[in-house]
Amino acid sequence: MRLLTHNMLASNVRGATTGYPLTLEVTKWCTKEVELNADFIRGLLPKIDWRALVAATRALGLPELLPEDQPPEEEIFAEGAADVEGSAIRRIHHALLEVHVQEGSLVCPDTSRCFPINKGIPNMMLHEDEV
Amino acid sequence: MAAVPAEMGAGEWGRARVVVERWRHVLAVPRPNLYRAERERRGAGRELRGMPPMAAAIGAPEAQDMVPAEGNHSCSSSVQSTPEIEKKYVHRVYDAIAPHFSATRFAKWPKVAGFLNSLRPGSIVLDVGCGNGKYLGFNPDCLFIGCDISPPLIEICAGRGHEVLVADAVNLSYRNDFGDAAISIAVLHHLSTDDRRRKAIEELIRVVRRGGLVLITVWARDQEDKSLLNKWTPLCEKYNEEWVEQSSPPVRSQSGTLLESIAETDEDTGVMKQTDDRLKKFHDGVEDKIIDFSNSKTDENEKNQQEYFVPWHLPFHRAEIGAASAALENGFAKKDEKKGTVVYNRYYHVFVEGELQRWSILTQQLYIHMKKLTSFPFCFYLLVSGIKNATIVDQFYDKSNWCIVLEKL
Repeated sequence: MRLLTHNMLASNVRGATTGYPLTLEVTKWCTKEVELNADFIRGLLPKIDWRALVAATRALGLPELLPEDQPPEEEIFAEGAADVEGSAIRRIHHALLEVHVQEGSLVCPDTSRCFPINKGIPNMMLHEDEV
Repeated sequence: MAAVPAEMGAGEWGRARVVVERWRHVLAVPRPNLYRAERERRGAGRELRGMPPMAAAIGAPEAQDMVPAEGNHSCSSSVQSTPEIEKKYVHRVYDAIAPHFSATRFAKWPKVAGFLNSLRPGSIVLDVGCGNGKYLGFNPDCLFIGCDISPPLIEICAGRGHEVLVADAVNLSYRNDFGDAAISIAVLHHLSTDDRRRKAIEELIRVVRRGGLVLITVWARDQEDKSLLNKWTPLCEKYNEEWVEQSSPPVRSQSGTLLESIAETDEDTGVMKQTDDRLKKFHDGVEDKIIDFSNSKTDENEKNQQEYFVPWHLPFHRAEIGAASAALENGFAKKDEKKGTVVYNRYYHVFVEGELQRWSILTQQLYIHMKKLTSFPFCFYLLVSGIKNATIVDQFYDKSNWCIVLEKL
């Protein structure tokens, strides 16, 4: 599961008020390099909940990867930003698309319901008494 | 709308039946409800048939199929609970046949391919009911996220490097407005009630952004090869209570008569040919029953028939056969010695012309509050408030499927 996916997942358990963001608990993860498409990342950013993304990177033990506050637009859209090692856009790309959670769970903030992640696959199916 | 003939006589499938269905749709004449038992249990009101809100308020559908509401109309939890028939004849079957099913799912449907290729580069595409992930990554400029209720199918997708999760199309765990587009390819026909099918469409619209597009395809009852229709295995009302209400443990099949079928001739329609016999036996997972088509109600039933079991043949030599022994043991599957296969039945609600549009039109009713009209001898409801707006931007029939493209407003 990529952190992009984590960013869009919410708990749909009966009784959850927002069910978002899901708390990430990780026991196993890895990175897989993928080519940076700067325009794609720039297009994604308006959809991303920055706090949830930062919290997820903290859960992975990467506190230095992303700043608390979303970098300003000038930094993201700057000419040649993508070519600079360690630039904001590269870090965001790494966080969203290159990190893969393999084993762990997603915890509903309202109900504490745990959705397991096995072999990189979250299972969001609810039981009969949860719908 | 042109005048239409009243009742078309018994006869072959064809344009006439489509016309009758269209007439029924416009005038909201209720069709015989195969789920009468379920409706009565819920105390549901009259469902609209694509009529505009004010017309619905003043319209008076015939009392023939009306059920008085029993107190509160509250089934918001039941719509997301998986009915038994889907657990047995959709979920379990796909879990059992996943690798074999995946091996037969490779051809890309041009209409779906065209839709995906038309999307803006950088789009996030949500494939709901992605199966073996046939369309995931199809457009390399888009990012695909797939989900399905079958863990074995999702594992196949993950093995191919796709971003996937296990989730229910009727209760998606995506937050609102995230996707740029969503596709639901041959999925909704596995949902067994109108409420669930409508909810699935609402979910697809909910998870895309404003201006986002949703492509839905479903099997049509009116197949291009009309002769095949006669050979589907229909599910009749008298068995409805048994497979919807079934709670007793399955009984081992007593009968030795088997479904005679040949392998699927078209992976996208999956239509099975049956022996040409007026008396048909079908397997409902509990015990064999005989459907007698020799009575006068036969043609009437056929005209309205949209519920079918469609067999899946798992060859003996497949590795999944190991798991099939348990299914055979409890009568859930049957052997076809002639074909050398184990036969599972998949549940389908095939769609008639205009049916997808009916649910989509309903979603256009903005923020109309539920009203209960008590001045009539029966009660019915307008659509629930809060449904997001969507408009139909394309609709077509292709390769025996009804298809629709919606845009979220």
